[in-house]
Amino acid sequence: MKSADSVAANIAAWTRRNAEYTDPSAARAWASTELSWGKAGVPEAELDVLGDVSGLDIVELGCGTAFGTARLARLGARVVGVDPTPAQLETARRMQAETGIEFPLVEAPGEAVPLPDASFDLVISEHGAAAWADPERWLPEAYRLLRPGGRLVFLHTSPLAYCCFPAVGQITEQLQRPYFGLDAVVWPGDDGVEYQLTHAEWISLLRETGFLVERLIELQATESAVTHEYYNDVPVEWARQWPEEEIWVASKP
Amino acid sequence: MNEDSIKANIVQWTKSNADFTDPSAQRHWASEEIFWGVFSIPEDDIDVIGDVNGLDVVELGCGTAYFSAWLAKRGARPVGVDPTPAQLATARRMQAETGIEFPLVEAAAESVPLPDASFDLALSEYGASLWADPEQWVREAARLLRPGGRLIFLTNSILVYLCAPDIGVTTEQLQRPLFGMGRIQWPGEVGIEYHLPHGRWIGLLRDNGFAIEALHELRAHEDAVDPGYYDFVTVEWGRKWPAEEIWVARKL
Repeated sequence: MKSADSVAANIAAWTRRNAEYTDPSAARAWASTELSWGKAGVPEAELDVLGDVSGLDIVELGCGTAFGTARLARLGARVVGVDPTPAQLETARRMQAETGIEFPLVEAPGEAVPLPDASFDLVISEHGAAAWADPERWLPEAYRLLRPGGRLVFLHTSPLAYCCFPAVGQITEQLQRPYFGLDAVVWPGDDGVEYQLTHAEWISLLRETGFLVERLIELQATESAVTHEYYNDVPVEWARQWPEEEIWVASKP
Repeated sequence: MNEDSIKANIVQWTKSNADFTDPSAQRHWASEEIFWGVFSIPEDDIDVIGDVNGLDVVELGCGTAYFSAWLAKRGARPVGVDPTPAQLATARRMQAETGIEFPLVEAAAESVPLPDASFDLALSEYGASLWADPEQWVREAARLLRPGGRLIFLTNSILVYLCAPDIGVTTEQLQRPLFGMGRIQWPGEVGIEYHLPHGRWIGLLRDNGFAIEALHELRAHEDAVDPGYYDFVTVEWGRKWPAEEIWVARKL
């Protein structure tokens, strides 16, 4: 899979998903001030991934409708949202106009971001570039965008979850596919292209890019979490026993 | 210290030594090549350790010390540390037979009677990495290493831990939760093992002043065969999923 093909495929996928879910739910997502991680819903206060973001320059790669970016803006960060899907950025602009929370939105894939070198303290991606962009290309972009001492934080589906998804349907407790050779995945009947690496490959790629590996947080669904209304292929009971999602934290020396 | 798991594991390895590691010691010591894990992956294929010539190496949980002997053959100055007297007796016999001599220290990796900052490489191949309390032995490894020194350890993969039934060969089914994993005594076994998820290994290594250099998730190669004595996994399984993993970290 060439990155250019996956960018086009993922714009198509997220234009459809925006019409189905992320646009209709944008007002609710933008209204929330809660900082929590993933479908697992683990509060930032519990994990302390980000620390104090006030005054930081932050870019979100694959911001979608930018509700997460907006929450960081409310905490005093100077944020920029980057996403390749025009439909989602349109929703984000409408929400900016409705809420008065304004920040730059840039139409670009995580693989090629038209922003200057060393201009951010934090690069963040939550099921954005971290899932839908080619890691061989978006990790170097994240590194380029960061100042020395800056951090990269990204959340995506765990490789264990990948191994346990059948071709179609809900996640299982069975290994459905090999762990070796995870890469670009097109699920049958779906239009998007997801990228997944093994843990060893993530560590290797982060190190080759120049990052130091700081943390890996394997997320456990909280007691109050419920199965997601739209991204519903992982029952919350599964996510209480095994990490469906994980957060990597790396720093630029 | 976890006196109970240290004691239990001495009993376990006294038995395993009589069953397997003593009778196989001669064959292991004779190898000119370094191999990793139950599928005997050559070091030369994956290049984990690199040049060890002239390095001070401590092996934590050395058993019969064949890995230390392999490193000695490549010019390293190893010290083998193990809590099980029976395995160290086998190691001493092999030293006398082969003429490959190096210090052997009877101690648990949780508390090693060797000086601070005296090694360039701390190594554990199914030793402390599986049988000692990680909170304690990783701290000891950090103490024993010089700045810039490396910690390299091989243990079972997370997927093996998740997919192994209580008794028998590793399956393709998740048998137990990942969350809450740590110390485990398998039914019918005397020994006590320690398994951590990747996120906790990274956290523990960082907390002890290590930078994460690499994780090698080992894949059985095409001509690998089913393991003999350590028959917890089949070669077919080991070609699709990692049965074992090697962490490489550097003391800052």
